[in-house]
Amino acid sequence: MMLHLRRTSLLRGWSGVCRCQTGNQPSRNSSSSSTSSLFVAPDSSSAGLVLHSQSTNVYQNLALEDWIDANVDLQQRSILLLWRNRPAVVIGRHQNPWTECNLPAMRRMGIPLARRRSGGGTVFHDLGNLNLTFFTSKKAYDRQRNLKVVTEALRRVRPGLDVQATDRFDILLNGHYKISGTASRLSRKSSYHHCTLLHSADRSALSTVLRPSCPGIHSNATPSVPSPVANLLDHAPTLQWEELLDGLVNQYNAEFGFSSALTLVNPTDESVFPGLSRMETELRSWDWTFGKTPKFSVQTLLDLTDGRSSARSSAQLHMEVKNGLIESCELDVPADWLPRRLSGELVNMLVGERFCPHGAAAAVALLLRSESGELQTRLHHLCDAVLSVMG
Amino acid sequence: MLSRSRCVYQGLGRSLSAVSQVNNVLVRQSVSGFSVSSRLVYRNSQPCEVPSSVNVFHTRYFKTSAVHRDEVITVKTPAFAESVTEGDVRWEKAVGDSVTEDEVVCEIETDKTSVQVPSPAAGVIEELLVPDGGKVEGGTPLFKLRKGAAAAAKADPSPAAEAPPAAAPPPPPPPPPASTPTAMPTVPPVPPPTAPAKPVSAVKATAAAPAPAPPAAGGRGENRVKMNRMRLRIAQRLKEAQNTCAMLTTFNEVDMSNIQEMRKIHKDAFLKKHNIKLGFMSAFVKAAAHALTDQPAVNAVIDDSTKEIVYRDYVDISVAVATPKGLVVPVIRNVETMNFSDIEKAINALGEKARKNELAVEDMDGGTFTISNGGVFGSLFGTPIINPPQSAILGMHGIFDRPVAINGKVEIRPMMYVALTYDHRLIDGREAVTFLRKIKAVVEDPRVLLLDM
Repeated sequence: MMLHLRRTSLLRGWSGVCRCQTGNQPSRNSSSSSTSSLFVAPDSSSAGLVLHSQSTNVYQNLALEDWIDANVDLQQRSILLLWRNRPAVVIGRHQNPWTECNLPAMRRMGIPLARRRSGGGTVFHDLGNLNLTFFTSKKAYDRQRNLKVVTEALRRVRPGLDVQATDRFDILLNGHYKISGTASRLSRKSSYHHCTLLHSADRSALSTVLRPSCPGIHSNATPSVPSPVANLLDHAPTLQWEELLDGLVNQYNAEFGFSSALTLVNPTDESVFPGLSRMETELRSWDWTFGKTPKFSVQTLLDLTDGRSSARSSAQLHMEVKNGLIESCELDVPADWLPRRLSGELVNMLVGERFCPHGAAAAVALLLRSESGELQTRLHHLCDAVLSVMG
Repeated sequence: MLSRSRCVYQGLGRSLSAVSQVNNVLVRQSVSGFSVSSRLVYRNSQPCEVPSSVNVFHTRYFKTSAVHRDEVITVKTPAFAESVTEGDVRWEKAVGDSVTEDEVVCEIETDKTSVQVPSPAAGVIEELLVPDGGKVEGGTPLFKLRKGAAAAAKADPSPAAEAPPAAAPPPPPPPPPASTPTAMPTVPPVPPPTAPAKPVSAVKATAAAPAPAPPAAGGRGENRVKMNRMRLRIAQRLKEAQNTCAMLTTFNEVDMSNIQEMRKIHKDAFLKKHNIKLGFMSAFVKAAAHALTDQPAVNAVIDDSTKEIVYRDYVDISVAVATPKGLVVPVIRNVETMNFSDIEKAINALGEKARKNELAVEDMDGGTFTISNGGVFGSLFGTPIINPPQSAILGMHGIFDRPVAINGKVEIRPMMYVALTYDHRLIDGREAVTFLRKIKAVVEDPRVLLLDM
């Protein structure tokens, strides 16, 4: 499968590929015959490659990153991939989605959740955010240099813009607002470093979704460090996408001594990217997105007060969750509110299920059908409270 | 030679034949081993379980050339890039897992970077030296790997297809979920169907019954799998239903030609207007709702605790859907107010949710009557079982061309057998038969609905 990537060839045609305008114009060189030659081993004048993904689907783009990392020989060349996504939340490899983002709100707003393979914290992507991925060999891995490409590019298109990369690999605007965050991944021989760049993102959506789904979670997953953010467009109102992208491509070439033009790529083209759809499927799966959460525990108090009785009633819930599945569950419900037999049944139903309101829904519905009257109402109330903890 | 090999293998529980096989290999290798031993560095701090006079190869550095059987190596944290000092370990593999060379064993998260730590050789993870989430620095020992252990007897939960050929005579002790070769090659050892034609129960739900690998040599082992909670609960409910209800089934047959023709004529326009396909379920669901409003006893249920009959004004029809995880029964509410397109939309929406595993508790709560379609699996005839707490269930079966007598002549018509299982404590025979005939009348000629007959 990877043979065509390693074969040296006399093909130099692609370096004469014409520059593509981003956005509306259809690319002339995205036909499969010419893009499949993209990854042929380069000669020295074309050791760098700048790609722009035509897809705005977060899973396809993450899969494209994986594909390049796995299939392209990065020892002799480097790649810069530019991509944007429709609204999505992206968590880091070892993070806990229930603490990092508000899953019920995301479901209501139709915003999907993706887990990337690199480390780091949680970010909100939308079409106002540009993602840049720098692919290099492990030896050439240098994040500050990559960020310098971004800051220098910004300074060139807008002289006087105060942008600075920090030692935590963020880029700050005016010394205060974060406009870019970084994450990376080191594999056996290759590496990639990707960062965001806030151009014109929807900040209110961002703040709505980037908060915990439910209280009471104790985990040693990688936490996110919240920072105040700003959009470039707010501080440089005339900076449009085209100018920004051109500036970045030019700076990338200048910094690394390349002379590559921007090439559009389509991750859904199986002839150019064989096997990418399989990677995309894996990234979409529940087992990857939620199942890869490090082990955590949930300890919270459920409020069982119903409209009828004036007495306040509450239940103590303690769950251990591993690989996204409920490993153990303790539910302490006052016996005068609901017989222990029923709360015990509910606990039994939950163990082994996914920590997800839908995972246990069928089992819970089955349990509810066996009861009737007041008991059923209370059990229903308890079930709702427990399921709402799961996001 | 022999004494050393015995020490090295103590506690492994191998069978004698396997040991002798390995012994031979070791004898062969040890000759070369001695010649290189002088170049190896012994780890004095490592407590050895073998006497020190014995030559045990413990390496400090990765040995990628010759693979020495059963050598345990300690893999260390690789150096971090860019002068980073420490990171958190996230384990991908656990103790006892076998890994191939270069397979990722763990990832180390340092400062927003995820670094993969591959296994230097094929083997079995012997011990994890850092807890999950623990901090490590470059050079910290991470885990111990027992090399060359493709034939290890450690509990290895991989499917039998990968069972090492060397261990053929005594099969390795099977851990519960592993599929050992079973008696008959043809029939998979899954539990028998829950009940005769329980609504669409053909799908075997849980991962507890993996498809067994085709047995190598007609073995006769057994495989015990614990019943999961959901299955236990369903089993309990079904038996309760059987014990309380006086369950009987009445049958009838439906001539599907008219409804098929209606569908043929209108399906394209329907698809264009409503954006979903026109199926047969809507006809049966609507027919059932019509018949249920006409005969409230079938829509009612006996409350055993209070000895009352509960009559309901609304018709909520539960539709049995087979999903990969098992049978789920989402409910369409207030069907008596819906027309065919509303019903199709509702079924479609629920089917989508079920497929994506997004059904909520509210979607599956309640229901006054159930319809189950065994026909999708090709069923000809069968007795459905009531879905408690309800009083009746309609079972649809497959549509097959059959010769039938129409006006004294034999004609071939697409026919479907339908079955109604009902609770005889509440519904008597005449009511049940009339009910089923009403459904038949509506499906055979939907104009009956317009004329309210």
